[in-house]
Amino acid sequence: MSNASGHEILRDDASTRLSILGNHAIVRGGLEAGVQFYSCYPGTPSSEIGDTFAQIAKAADIHFEYSVNEKIAVEVAFAASLAGARSMCGMKHLGLSSANDPISTMPYVGVGGGMVIVSAGDPSAITSPNEQDQRHFTKFLYYPIFDPATPEDARRMTKYAFGFSETTGLPVILRPTTRVCHSSGMVQFDSLPAERNEVGFKKDPPRYVPIPQNARRMRVELTERYKKAEALLATSGFFPRTGSGRRGIIASGVAYSYTAHVIQQLGIEDEVTLQQVGAYPIPEELLKDFLASVDSVLVVEELTPFVEEWVTLSAFRAGRTIPILGKHTDHFPVEFEYSPDMVDGAVRKYLKLDQRNGRRANVPELPPRPPVLCPGCPHRTSFHMVKKVFGKKTVYCNDIGCYTLGYGEPLGACDMLLCMGSSISQASGIARVTGERTVAYIGDSTFYHSGLPALANAVQADDAITVVILDNYITAMTGFQPSLTSDNMAGGGSLSGVERSERFSIEDAVRGLGVQNLYSVDPFDDEATLAALEQAKAASGVSVVICHSPCVVHDRRVTKERKRSPFTVDQELCNSCTACVRMLGCPGILVIDGKYTIDRELCDGCELCADVCKHDAISPMQVEGD
Amino acid sequence: MTAPDQVSGAGTRVLVAGTGGQGVLTAARLLCDCFVDLGHEVVSGQLHGMAQRGGAVQSSIIIDGGTCPVIAAGQADFVVGLEPVETVRALPVVSEHTWVYMNTAPIIPYVVAQRAARKEADASYPDVDGLIAAMHAATSNVLTLDATACAIEAGSAKALNMVMLGCLLGTGSLPCSADTFWEAAVRRMPPKLHDTNSRAFRAGVAMTAERANCGGAA
Repeated sequence: MSNASGHEILRDDASTRLSILGNHAIVRGGLEAGVQFYSCYPGTPSSEIGDTFAQIAKAADIHFEYSVNEKIAVEVAFAASLAGARSMCGMKHLGLSSANDPISTMPYVGVGGGMVIVSAGDPSAITSPNEQDQRHFTKFLYYPIFDPATPEDARRMTKYAFGFSETTGLPVILRPTTRVCHSSGMVQFDSLPAERNEVGFKKDPPRYVPIPQNARRMRVELTERYKKAEALLATSGFFPRTGSGRRGIIASGVAYSYTAHVIQQLGIEDEVTLQQVGAYPIPEELLKDFLASVDSVLVVEELTPFVEEWVTLSAFRAGRTIPILGKHTDHFPVEFEYSPDMVDGAVRKYLKLDQRNGRRANVPELPPRPPVLCPGCPHRTSFHMVKKVFGKKTVYCNDIGCYTLGYGEPLGACDMLLCMGSSISQASGIARVTGERTVAYIGDSTFYHSGLPALANAVQADDAITVVILDNYITAMTGFQPSLTSDNMAGGGSLSGVERSERFSIEDAVRGLGVQNLYSVDPFDDEATLAALEQAKAASGVSVVICHSPCVVHDRRVTKERKRSPFTVDQELCNSCTACVRMLGCPGILVIDGKYTIDRELCDGCELCADVCKHDAISPMQVEGD
Repeated sequence: MTAPDQVSGAGTRVLVAGTGGQGVLTAARLLCDCFVDLGHEVVSGQLHGMAQRGGAVQSSIIIDGGTCPVIAAGQADFVVGLEPVETVRALPVVSEHTWVYMNTAPIIPYVVAQRAARKEADASYPDVDGLIAAMHAATSNVLTLDATACAIEAGSAKALNMVMLGCLLGTGSLPCSADTFWEAAVRRMPPKLHDTNSRAFRAGVAMTAERANCGGAA
């Protein structure tokens, strides 16, 4: 029933018109441009781009990899570009920061084959620790940036960007946001190319080596490339202007879709001229022309007043002193994503129309459904064991991934969090100044992403930290992409599709970094886990405990079976002491009509609640023939 | 100058709401794909955070109504609620013109148990009759049913979303008939699901047809 787009997206039929996810439209745009290389690190809301490329890579003859981190994804893709291949890499907004080092020099060197970096933004920080505005990379590092409003924009821009990148010599950024990535819209397919770039690296060290004497020459070339980019964008077709009034509105990203909707709903097409900004740098002549045609401007864009300030500067240079409204006039906030209702209110204010009557629906107080570790997650057990041994006073530095869900009561496994791989370095910092043994939690994928250098750093400083690596053999939070510890023989997949008969050994990596106190456990083996944790706590310097157990949800998907029978509460023995609920926070334990029960469908039979029950009220369900 | 206070606008706007695992996104995807197969222009948006199984999920489907994937306040023509609390959470898009189909079988959020164990306030699932009343306060067009029971009767609790799609298509107010929709839908389903899903969908269609014959929604 799914249109996972695996095959649909490969259709070589230019009459195809489908409603597909923005992320799938980006893949289609790449295919239409003849993309030859795709690398990525998963991150919401960008993940489906890589997952789709992973599905079709073989059929479409594309080199594909889930890289170990975003910096590496960018570097391999850039080198592929230098060898002539049209290359692409994907990540979320934070990944762009993670890859900032190579990204900052790439425009100096310039591309070979066209290169497009997809960096998906997350206004309102729906699935991220911050919202950041990647559009500043155009002024910061001279990247042309495409800013789609719809899935069709995303397809057209991606396709266009490759040729544009080759003509200008610049790598480019495509920056869709959550509402574009995760919305479906009508997409009109173009045909697939008959030919692709010829590949082969031609040696030319002064061209490819940015040592200072070359970098200064490249810096001057960069100015020319960026000017060329601005000139080309003027005829790119990504700056459509509609309507005819003297009241101007400039909008970008998904806020452009909202604005077009509001204008149509209000029936004010004749009063308003609407200008979309679909890319940066905004061509100066185009803006001057727009500013001359209107008497005032409202700027509609999410996050920082980026276009607003750009337009204000252009108006000043053009000697056009008209009101330019937006965030600095409080028509819009600088925080969070917009909504059609917010745009409706601002447009009415701008045009001095009555505001909509405030007959707001009266939504009663409702219980929330916050994200939580799944029932049966082996690392709820890991958290529980660590807390038993290290107690409540120990500082727990946590990291990015499912295990961030150890935050808050009752698991209390997250006192501190920053970014990928930060748990180990933060634990080092805390331990060094407090003199107290500090715990770092990190998952398998995050450990390889950026935990390795932090661990080496802790070992050389002999920090009093215990690193608990929660290995579940998969990158679960972003949708079950393979990690280095995935077992590809058992359906876990592998990063580059290369079949390996053995999983990567975290033990070998940790030992190789010089860690002496290393323990490997299965968290469901209580005795061994508690003993290992006690020893890790008593150790001097760095100790590492690796908890291995597969993600239950992924395991059930792959094997299509439940390995353990669900548990049930004997109501005669349960005295509602609530220990199981207060200690574990398992979503499988419910209160129905005042009685504590276990949801048979949700329970995965991990047994942890039975272990903490002092009244022997919880036991495996006797199921016939199940 | 006065602007219209409530504009329904061109197109049909449907919001499907429920919890992760109930089949909200599958139902939305099916609506989206089938209406495209039938020659319509469809956009669809999803709203779900980090929630895996058990989180709140909403999906909007806009048929022949432009490119904006988000439904503005009061602008849903239909709300398809797979769970009582999640139906009420969709109230902001409901106006007196909206038709609401609401499954009355609750999925209890785990926070209820957490609150009960800590003896906090709001430590129970809201009274379902009160939730129905909250919907009735916004629109008189509310159809309530135990769609989970209907789905189980049809062969599988997992067919809940098909019962609810049946209710929606059974109104006859979408751009195609229930029969035409279902012909398109089965083409997109694995054969082993055809029987159960068809029974579930028909049960939903019968539910709205029956109420319509009684001269209005319950």
